[in-house]
Amino acid sequence: MGTVMELQTIEKPKTLMKTYNDTHAEQTVTRENNSLGSATVHRDDRSKTVGEIEAKNPRMVCRDVNVYYGDKHAIRDVNLDIGKNEVIAMIGPSGCGKSTFLRCLNRMNDTIDSCRVTGEIMMDGEDINDHKIDVVPLRAQVGMVFQKPNPFPKTIWENIAFGPRIHGLANDKEELDEIVETSLKRAGLWEEVKDRLDQPGTGLSGGQQQRLCIARTIAVHPEVILMDEPCSALDPIATAKIEELIDELREQFSIAIVTHSMQQAARVSQRTAYFHLGDLIEVGDTTQIFTNPKHQLTEDYITGRFG
Amino acid sequence: MNSSATTIDNFTPPPKRTIDRVRQGLAKRKAAEKRFKAYGLIAIILGLSFLAILFTSIISKGYSAFQITYVKLEVFLDPAELDPSNTGDPEVLSGANYGGLVKSTLRSMFPDVTSRSDKRALYGLVSTGADYQLRRMVMNDPSLIGTTVTLWAPADDDIDTFMKGHIDRDASESDRRLKDNQITWVDQLVAEQLIEKRFNTTFFTAGDSRDPELAGIWGAAVGSFFTLLVTLALSFPIAVAAAVYLEEFAPRNRYTDIIEVNINNLAAVPSIVFGLLGLAVFINFFGLPRSAPLVGGLVLSLMTLPTIIIASRAALKSVPPSIREAALGVGASPMQTMLYHVLPLAMPGILTGTIIGMAQALGETAPLLMIGMVAFIVDIPTGVFDPSTVLPVQIYLWADSPERAFVEKTSAAIMVLLAFLITMNALAVILRKRFERRW
Repeated sequence: MGTVMELQTIEKPKTLMKTYNDTHAEQTVTRENNSLGSATVHRDDRSKTVGEIEAKNPRMVCRDVNVYYGDKHAIRDVNLDIGKNEVIAMIGPSGCGKSTFLRCLNRMNDTIDSCRVTGEIMMDGEDINDHKIDVVPLRAQVGMVFQKPNPFPKTIWENIAFGPRIHGLANDKEELDEIVETSLKRAGLWEEVKDRLDQPGTGLSGGQQQRLCIARTIAVHPEVILMDEPCSALDPIATAKIEELIDELREQFSIAIVTHSMQQAARVSQRTAYFHLGDLIEVGDTTQIFTNPKHQLTEDYITGRFG
Repeated sequence: MNSSATTIDNFTPPPKRTIDRVRQGLAKRKAAEKRFKAYGLIAIILGLSFLAILFTSIISKGYSAFQITYVKLEVFLDPAELDPSNTGDPEVLSGANYGGLVKSTLRSMFPDVTSRSDKRALYGLVSTGADYQLRRMVMNDPSLIGTTVTLWAPADDDIDTFMKGHIDRDASESDRRLKDNQITWVDQLVAEQLIEKRFNTTFFTAGDSRDPELAGIWGAAVGSFFTLLVTLALSFPIAVAAAVYLEEFAPRNRYTDIIEVNINNLAAVPSIVFGLLGLAVFINFFGLPRSAPLVGGLVLSLMTLPTIIIASRAALKSVPPSIREAALGVGASPMQTMLYHVLPLAMPGILTGTIIGMAQALGETAPLLMIGMVAFIVDIPTGVFDPSTVLPVQIYLWADSPERAFVEKTSAAIMVLLAFLITMNALAVILRKRFERRW
């Protein structure tokens, strides 16, 4: 508890907010007038997350998560649940900390030297942020798909088989073949690549590569899949395929997806979390967030006033 | 609305349009570009011409070393001379006077030579190697005793030089290595077709010798091979391990910074210093044998380590971080990420660095002088503990020898060394192409 108290006393970057307020002073006044009497939270009030942070059936529970890059306080007191068999979308303007938060969930931030994470991220009754926790089994449980498709420069088969092999999920090559096939089928890539499994994964198109990366992730049978803007480098057709895939995968996995596209968030997710400058501003059902946001900042963002 | 209108009114267009100004400077820009290209071209032409001069000079001097003059001798293996008591004892046979047989054969070929000094000049036509060659024949097959064998014996180096036209026959007798009567005999042998130039196998199979016609490069080549073997076996694994640790696992702090600076500085240390270090540590302290490829390899490892470490680190650094993230993302441990993904991708760069380091080691002379690999060694080394020399040191030794015939040998040895280097570099290119992957 002591740590939490300390962290709350850390000052928020006032200067940034000030300039923002100055330039939009007029607008703010009119908005205030308009929202008199309604439940909308004023844009200056970012201290408390609005909405329901808890999921009905949580898989991961994050409490008071703070992330620092050296001296920079990148994420402040984020409390959020990742529910079972649901897709939670994280939206917000660039640099708001949504990717950083996502990377906390499987401790990918460990690879960044200057990065420090505090707070609790509970999974199966254990704090995954504890230094005693081994990241290898954690990452087998919490898989990740990255922004840029990053297949290994090896064959398609090798790409999928690598994870199951290092974790000892298959006893022989036949079992591996089976895992490769089912993973590719579930990623909707099997029909396109079944005749060229021995060709390099880097030779596929961008959308195929990203589905290959998803297949590689689900080949390990994780319980949670983290997706960091998985469609940002893809065209609309490939994006549609991935979105369909995400919807299907929801039946078996818990998915957290970071996206810049609000339409995508609206299409694929059940819950949405809105981040702003390192604060988790609002969490709620996706329909509610997009139709009836309770926080002024959320409304500004989803209506396209900034971001 | 009003204010914006005033801005437009006040806007004064520049005296000339941009396109006019661009056109104005265009000729100057193009001239500068042409000049820049010309400088580059001149540099390359200069470099290539120096290379051409180097190659022409070496090849024109050295190609004749690949041929050597042989004299045909019909030697009667006189039993009275070789094995008077007919014992058949190998020891008696090996100790017999084969030189006498060669000499008597020569005398019988030129019966009119009588005076003592003329005889000595006559014996000088044939290399002492003929004696050993004859002995080898008899030792291999003692039944030859009593018969007449045909022996193509290597000619003396001066005769060989004369046959190759490097000795001027019109010079006065005191100014050349051959006496007048020797030239007459050679002319006679040529007329009788008893002397001819053949491919010089000795050069590629023998060790060093004081006699140029018996000297070969093989001993030095084998010495170089053993030395490089030790160097590779030590420096490659150590350097790759060091590079991997520093690049992938070591924390970034002052200590690793110091290590990095030191490695970079070590790459610039003069190689003779490593030679002195090797002498002090490996030979004097650890008591390893002098002149041995083992010590040579150890010293050259010290020298190549920084080169390979730096190249390997650069190769590891150039592997995109997305590959590491991908592997870590499916739950690979840092070691698995390293072993299955990062290292294979860095391998072409690491191998190129290694081969460059090895090529550098192959051509290195100075540190090896300090640890005694400059000794005159006739025997071909059979292991890393045998005394031996290496190719560049052999070149140095031959270049230092006074005999005229060693000039072409030196150039020929340089050609062999260059062939080795070109092969190694070609190997580097092939390995690079073979392992290169795009991502």
